[in-house]
Amino acid sequence: MMREEAFRFGRARHLVGIAGVPEGSAGETGVIVLNAGLVHRIGPFRLHVELTRQLNAAGYPTLRFDLSTLGDSGASGGGLTRTQQVCADVDDAMKLLAERAGCKNFVLVGLCSGAQNAHTVAASDPRVSGAVFLDGYAYRTLGYKLRHYLPRALDPARWARFLRHRAGGGGTDKPASEPVFAVAPAPREEVIADFTGMVGRGMKLYLVYSGGISYCFNHARQFRECFGKVMDHPAVTTSYRAETDHTYILTGDRARLVDGIGGWLARNFPPATGRHA
Amino acid sequence: MRNDPELPFFFGADNGLFGMYHAPASSPRRAVLMCPPLGQELIRTHRLYRQLAQALAAQGVAVLRFDYHGTGDSAGNSAEVDWNRCIGDAVTAAGELRSRAGLDRVVAFGARLGGSIALGAADRARFAEVIAWDPVVNGDDYVAALDTMQAALREDADRFNVPRSHADVAEQWLGFDIGESLRKQLMGLRVAPPNVPTLVLDSLPADATPRWEHLVSRRGKVAAISPPTPWNDLRRLEAAILSHPLIQAVSGRLTEDA
Repeated sequence: MMREEAFRFGRARHLVGIAGVPEGSAGETGVIVLNAGLVHRIGPFRLHVELTRQLNAAGYPTLRFDLSTLGDSGASGGGLTRTQQVCADVDDAMKLLAERAGCKNFVLVGLCSGAQNAHTVAASDPRVSGAVFLDGYAYRTLGYKLRHYLPRALDPARWARFLRHRAGGGGTDKPASEPVFAVAPAPREEVIADFTGMVGRGMKLYLVYSGGISYCFNHARQFRECFGKVMDHPAVTTSYRAETDHTYILTGDRARLVDGIGGWLARNFPPATGRHA
Repeated sequence: MRNDPELPFFFGADNGLFGMYHAPASSPRRAVLMCPPLGQELIRTHRLYRQLAQALAAQGVAVLRFDYHGTGDSAGNSAEVDWNRCIGDAVTAAGELRSRAGLDRVVAFGARLGGSIALGAADRARFAEVIAWDPVVNGDDYVAALDTMQAALREDADRFNVPRSHADVAEQWLGFDIGESLRKQLMGLRVAPPNVPTLVLDSLPADATPRWEHLVSRRGKVAAISPPTPWNDLRRLEAAILSHPLIQAVSGRLTEDA
């Protein structure tokens, strides 16, 4: 049985992570999983544990770790911006996995703010050869608005509710769930340029978006609507999972996501020996 | 090995248990084992457990946080979580803490089921005292509450675009596979008063049914902390639980002993 190892590492020994290095995986592509929101490295509902262990079984070295000030990691000091800090932390993570497993290339996996951080690093670091963006950047397109508003505008029951509400002088809206995760927007053209640059230098991308972000994304076509023709590039794979929530709370959804990432990795970064096919 | 103030490591049988040891700056005078709750409550309280551990370490207390088999970073799948094994893991962790801190006297702290595990392990782990925060003392009620929330989750419009099938949500509690044995174990759970001093920290809503009299009738007391903790609010399922009053209460209790 492969055992995981716990590490305190980084330029200020401020980071905490768990590495899984299967026997005979030296030199394989390493997979690094970033925090989703404020959840510590095990991931929402333990998603990152399940993902890294399944990838270990498939022959990939992995590291799930906490970025500076998240989970069990401390601050590094040094007055860096958050973006600089994220890049430096992932650099520390890649160095650790290079040292432990001889990895030269890496795939970054991130959900929500994790996708945003993975995007930032992937856009600038040549060691990153692939990225999995789970509910990453998204923009309300014209298509989104038509799909969202048109059915509502044509729904008589909804109009009746609206008119009743107005006649009654309004009322207290049901409080919305507290937002836990959010991706801060980046200029769309900048994101498109980043994606174009990534595939231009040979990176493979896997974008998986869930029904849990229906406030801004609601159809598989929206990948193309948001990011244009770069989504047609053979290095880009997209998947829209309308039925799932943002953090994959149901274990079946989570298992399908993990299988999907494992399959994408096997197709794009097959382990050299193919021992765990 | 460097002397990091917070050291992550694996221990126990097959090195399958994850631990985080918080070493005080000087030789520890006391030791606290922090038993986590299970399921989503483990994730929600992770930050608070770390803050409490750091506060205690600053007071000269050696602290061990750890994950049971099948939880957190420890080996095993969520469906393998077993009540008796959790108790056994707490006993193992207490031994690990004694060894690292060089102290025999260990106080246990736990929130929710973590408090119940600490109480259940008190004799075997030879805890000197148990501090339990809203411990689960009646498993029937706890299982019913989880089942109710799981049923509501199935059609939670804030989470899913369309309600999910009953099969999609079966044999899970709020994000985690649940084995049939753990369900039965929890349904039969009746926490008995331990033979050691017990402090129950109560932050349940005033109308909550579990009361603690039987736990503290012999050698313990109850202290209320506020505001009430929203353990069972589905809308806050993924929001961290933070509580400065809790940190003050636990730190204060250990200072009384100094």
